Amino acid sequence: MRHRDRVIAALSHEEPDRCPMQISFTPEFADRLRADLEARGLVTRSGPDSHNPHGGGNTYELELALDEDLILTSVGWANSYYQGPEAYTDEWGVTWRAQPYETPFGTGYYTEMVGRPLASDAAIASYRAPDPDRPELYEEAGRVIRQLGGEYYIVGVTVTTIWETAWALRGYEQLMIDLVTEPDIAEAILEIPFRYHLRAAERLTAMGVDMIWTGDDVGMQTGMLISPALWRRHLKPRMAELIARVKAINPAVKVAYHSDGMIWDVIPDLIEIGLDVLNPVQPACMDPAELKRRYGDHLCFWGSLDEQHTLPFGSPDDVRAEVRARLRTIGRGGGLILGPTHHVQLDTPMENFWAMVETILGRRLPAAAGTPRR
Amino acid sequence: MADLEGLTTAIEMGDRAAATRATQQAIDDGRNPQAILDAMTAAMNNVGGRFQRNEIFVPEMLIAARAMKEATALLEPLLVAADIRPEATAVIGTVKGDLHDIGKNLVGMMWKGANIEVIDLGTNVPPERYVEAARTHDARIIGVSALLTTTMTGMADVVRAVRDAGMGDVRIILGGAPVTAEFARAIGADGYAPDAGTAVEVVKAALAR
Repeated sequence: MRHRDRVIAALSHEEPDRCPMQISFTPEFADRLRADLEARGLVTRSGPDSHNPHGGGNTYELELALDEDLILTSVGWANSYYQGPEAYTDEWGVTWRAQPYETPFGTGYYTEMVGRPLASDAAIASYRAPDPDRPELYEEAGRVIRQLGGEYYIVGVTVTTIWETAWALRGYEQLMIDLVTEPDIAEAILEIPFRYHLRAAERLTAMGVDMIWTGDDVGMQTGMLISPALWRRHLKPRMAELIARVKAINPAVKVAYHSDGMIWDVIPDLIEIGLDVLNPVQPACMDPAELKRRYGDHLCFWGSLDEQHTLPFGSPDDVRAEVRARLRTIGRGGGLILGPTHHVQLDTPMENFWAMVETILGRRLPAAAGTPRR
Repeated sequence: MADLEGLTTAIEMGDRAAATRATQQAIDDGRNPQAILDAMTAAMNNVGGRFQRNEIFVPEMLIAARAMKEATALLEPLLVAADIRPEATAVIGTVKGDLHDIGKNLVGMMWKGANIEVIDLGTNVPPERYVEAARTHDARIIGVSALLTTTMTGMADVVRAVRDAGMGDVRIILGGAPVTAEFARAIGADGYAPDAGTAVEVVKAALAR
């Protein structure tokens, strides 16, 4: 079965030959994975492969070697993450610095925002976002569709669509205060990334991607960050417009929405505005089996493997059991693209990673030369 | 006579102008500073409860805390003069390697709202800074926050540093998205709160012990 047909079947609520799989990685985990794959003879190229978790600038060797079914290609502000160990300013004016962290498997770096171009009210009126129509932004998507689209399911990534880019520009707490005290300011700021990512989504759809992946983190561990009412007032109409516009261009294009955390209250709204796929299904916050029970007829799901406990801290058997549980519940009758709920981080033991992959694929991958099999 | 219920409502609604007006009016009317403070802490108590129940969300918490902060600033000189002091001091911070602070900030606001003095060390705080600050400020509580699985392991280092410094009676309370009650117990912390509203109950229980 072609990789893309597997995804199409699952999204049509049919169970394909195996559950489609999608996994992304932080840069340091990508390096560790590459070394592991080279030892197994599954990638032959050595040397640096810049891996951007959202797909900007990747060669996709890792994804292909793992037998993943979806290929991500990203246009937008989310590409500003992981741009280097040195401090930098992105083209939106957000300044970043790298923050190291230690794991049992080495040092990683997160990139954290430290400067906001719209922190002051005076900066808003004269602010100009980058141009979403520059042809070079779409070169990678073009290459990916040409070279990989015949076999793989291509996802045009425009995540951090509205809310996340807006708080990057304005400041996290300040934007939330704006929402409840100066809604006109909040609206002006939300509009900026929305217009950019809408344009990017339209262009990627016209180019022929199979899915547009949008989203914004509006959920916390125990509830929503902002009220459902505010989400409905400020984000829902924009998401509705985006979904309508991309589906007008290609009625077959699927749309996925990403939000970490708990967002039960707005799932009916997302269904109402035409959403196809909910991502990443953070299982500690929303029970995957319950999601399937309540919304499985109307929605497909993407993600669901726990990264707050199981993947980094569980045993390989815990990982296998969780994969099987998902296949039995949220993946029953199709409707699931399976994978971890976020980029795999450096604190994940390789045994756990392979337990996840091999259980999803239903087969063992070749061992590294000289490795004793279990 | 100043309407202290109006002060409570103004803070709950996040109306900083009304809150400071009501506070000034109460002061001008010669109301007992303790009574004014009680009206403020009642507001934050209500806010915490509503947040726990997902009736209000982070924006509403932020503006309530801002209104409380501005109202308290007006009242502060009278509290000092009447020797009305916070019942305890807490040191809070996000662990080493972690720059995330919204949860920690909300807990700080809620603990201040519960009349606890809060020394906020910010983010990326190594274990020894918690110890030093707790010692300097005679803190009975240390609140430690982490958002990430890759940094939460550092919470164990904080617990160890605090115990090694001989601060056996300082209560360490943990919070943050990947943190669980089980994890807190496993590393020898004294408490865990899943959200800023519950954090007030947890700190009060810790202080009562």
